[in-house]
Amino acid sequence: MTAIVTRQLAKHYPEVRALDGVSIALEEHRIHGLLGRNGAGKTTLMQLLTGQVFATSGSMQVLGASPVENAEVLAQTCFIQESQKYPDTFRAIDVLRIAAGAYPHWDQAFADQLIDEFRLPVKRAIKKLSRGQLSAIGIVIGLASRAPITFFDEPYLGLDAVARRMFYDRLLADFSEHPRTVVLSTHHIDEVANLLEHVVILDQGRVLLDADTDELHHAAIEVSGRAADVDAFLTGREVLDRTALGALATATLTARDGDERAAREAGLDVSPVSLQALFVHLTRASAAAAAATASVSATDVANH
Amino acid sequence: MRIRNVVQLHTVNKLQAFGWPLVFMILSLALVLIVGSLIVNVAAADEPGARESMRQGMLWNGAIFALLGPLIGFGFTAMGQYFPLALGLGLTRREFAAGTALVFAGNAAFYAVIIAIGKAIEVATGGFGIGIRFFDVVYTGTGAWWQTLIQTFLLILTVMLVGAAITTAFHRWGQSFLWVFWIALAAVVLAFVAAILLSEPFQDLAGAAAAMDWGWWMLVLAALGAVGATVWLALVRRAQAR
Amino acid sequence: MLDDSKPLFVAVAEQIEDGILDGTYAEDDPVPSTNELAAFLRINPATAGKGFNLLVDAGVLIKRRGIGMFVAPGAREALRHRRRLAFQDQFIAPLLREAAQLGISAEDLADMITKEVAR
Repeated sequence: MTAIVTRQLAKHYPEVRALDGVSIALEEHRIHGLLGRNGAGKTTLMQLLTGQVFATSGSMQVLGASPVENAEVLAQTCFIQESQKYPDTFRAIDVLRIAAGAYPHWDQAFADQLIDEFRLPVKRAIKKLSRGQLSAIGIVIGLASRAPITFFDEPYLGLDAVARRMFYDRLLADFSEHPRTVVLSTHHIDEVANLLEHVVILDQGRVLLDADTDELHHAAIEVSGRAADVDAFLTGREVLDRTALGALATATLTARDGDERAAREAGLDVSPVSLQALFVHLTRASAAAAAATASVSATDVANH
Repeated sequence: MRIRNVVQLHTVNKLQAFGWPLVFMILSLALVLIVGSLIVNVAAADEPGARESMRQGMLWNGAIFALLGPLIGFGFTAMGQYFPLALGLGLTRREFAAGTALVFAGNAAFYAVIIAIGKAIEVATGGFGIGIRFFDVVYTGTGAWWQTLIQTFLLILTVMLVGAAITTAFHRWGQSFLWVFWIALAAVVLAFVAAILLSEPFQDLAGAAAAMDWGWWMLVLAALGAVGATVWLALVRRAQAR
Repeated sequence: MLDDSKPLFVAVAEQIEDGILDGTYAEDDPVPSTNELAAFLRINPATAGKGFNLLVDAGVLIKRRGIGMFVAPGAREALRHRRRLAFQDQFIAPLLREAAQLGISAEDLADMITKEVAR
C-alpha cells in the first residue's frame, strides 16, 4: 500500500516557491529519507502532508485520503518538527500527557523507558530546557506514539553523537518490532544511510532524486589516478565533480555497468560514493546548472 | 471529535490554568483588605462619612483585574501558543475551535461563579466589615448577584473571543493588520469624541445610551462577543502553522 | 564492518557467507533473525532481509516456516566452490596488476608465495 502520494504538490509563498511541483509515492512500512539543503522544501512538504499548511496547488493523499482537517488520517500521523512551539508555561510532562491522549497507539512503558535513556527532566519548564533536551521530547513522542506514519524533521538538533546513536538504535529496534512508515529528514546523511530504504532528495522545492538506496549504491563512482587517464575515462560521461592536484585527479561520475572493471583496467583507483557524497555532488551540480541557465537567460534578455 | 484532548491541552497544567489566577485574586484581595483596614482604622477613624465615601469611590476599583487580566490574556495565548501545539499534535482546526470555545465558556462560568459568590459575601458583610469594594465593582456589575453572574460571564467570554480573533488576524496578516486595526479604532474613538463635543443630537443619543438599562448593556456585550467569535472561527479555518 | 564497495544487502550476505566458511555457522545451525542482524549491524531490516533472500535463492540458507533460517546442508562446500571461481578475478588479477606496477616478475612472485606459505 502506498502510504503517501503527492501529485504536482506546490506551495508558493510571496517571497519564495517553497515547493514547486513535487510528485512522490512513499510505500508503507519503510524508512524513507528526505534529504535536501536548508530551504529545499523538506519541512514544507511535511507540513503539507500533516495539514498544518495549505497547498497552493497539486494533490496529496495520506493513507488514501486528503489529510487536511481530516481527524481520522491525522490521528494516524505524528509530526516531530524541530521548530515546534510549546506554550510558555508548559513542562515536558504536560506535553507528554497530551501526546499520550492524542495518539491512539501510544505506548507509555516505551515512553518511560525513553525518558530515562535520554535523561529528560520532565518536570522542568520547557523554556529552561537545552536544545538537546527539547529535541529529546520530540524523539520520545515520535517513537512512543507508534503512529502508523511518523515524520521526523531533523529531530536531533542539539543532541550529541551518543544521543543520536541512541535515537537511531531505538528507532530501528522499534521499527523492526512494530513496523510503521517513517519519513526522516536529516543533514547527518552518512549516519542514517544504512537505515534508509528509500531516499527523496529535494532541491529548491523540486525532486532531484527519488530512488531506493540499493539502486543509489551504484549510481555514482569515484575514480582517481593520473589526470590524463582520468580525463580519458571521463570523455562523454556525466561528470558530477572533478578535482586535480598537479598531475593527479579525482572525479565523480554517474556510473554505468562495467565501469568498475573498465576503470581498474585503465589503471585508475575506484572508490564507492557514499550517499552523503552523492547528495553533495548532485545538489552542487543542480545549483551549477541553475546558475548556468540563469546566466544564459540573463544574457538572452540583454541581447534582445 | 477529540474535544477532550483540546480541553486537556488547556487544562493539563493545572497550576497555570487555575492556580495562578486564583492566587493573584487572593493576593489582590488581601492587599485591598489591608490597605482598606489601614484607611478605616487610621485615617477615617473620626469621620463618620469617610467609610461611605470610600465605598463609593471604590466603585471603580480595578483590583479585580488581577484575576481578570490573566483571563483576558488567555484569549490571546490560546491562539498564539496553544494552537501551534494543537496543529503539531495532529488536531484539526475544527476540533481546536470547538474545544477552545468550550474552555473559554467553562472558564467564564467558573470565574463568574467565584466572583458572584465573592460579591455576595462582600455585600452581606458590608464590604468585609471595613467597607471596601473588590467584587462589587462597576466591571462586574453592582446590581443583584445574578446580574453580576451574567455580566462577569459575558465580560470574560467576550474578551477571550475578541482576543482570539485579534490574535488569529494578526498571525494571518501580520503587522499591517495591527496598523489597520488600531487606526480604525482610533478613528472610531475620535469620531465618537468629536460627535459628543460638536453634535447636540448625538449628545442626547449618547446620554440615552449611557442611561440604558443593564439588560441592553448586556446585549451589547453579547453582540461584541458574537462578532469576536464569528471573526475568530472564520479566520481559524484558514490559519496555517508558521 | 561492512564492505562499502558493494550494495549493503550484498555485503550483509557475504558476511553470513564468511561465517559459514569459517565454521561459525555449521550446517543445520540457525542464523540470526532479520531483526537481530539488522539491530546488530545497525541497518534497515529490509536490507538484512534482502541479504538473507539472496542466500536463500543461492541455496546457502533454507527457510523453515515459523522457525527461522538455517544453514543448508552442503552450503560450506558450495560456497567454497563459488568463491574459488571468483578468487582469480578478486585476488589474482589485482595482485598481478600491483606486481606489474612494482616491476615484480612472475618468478619473484612465485618465490614470495613459497616463502609466505613456509612461515
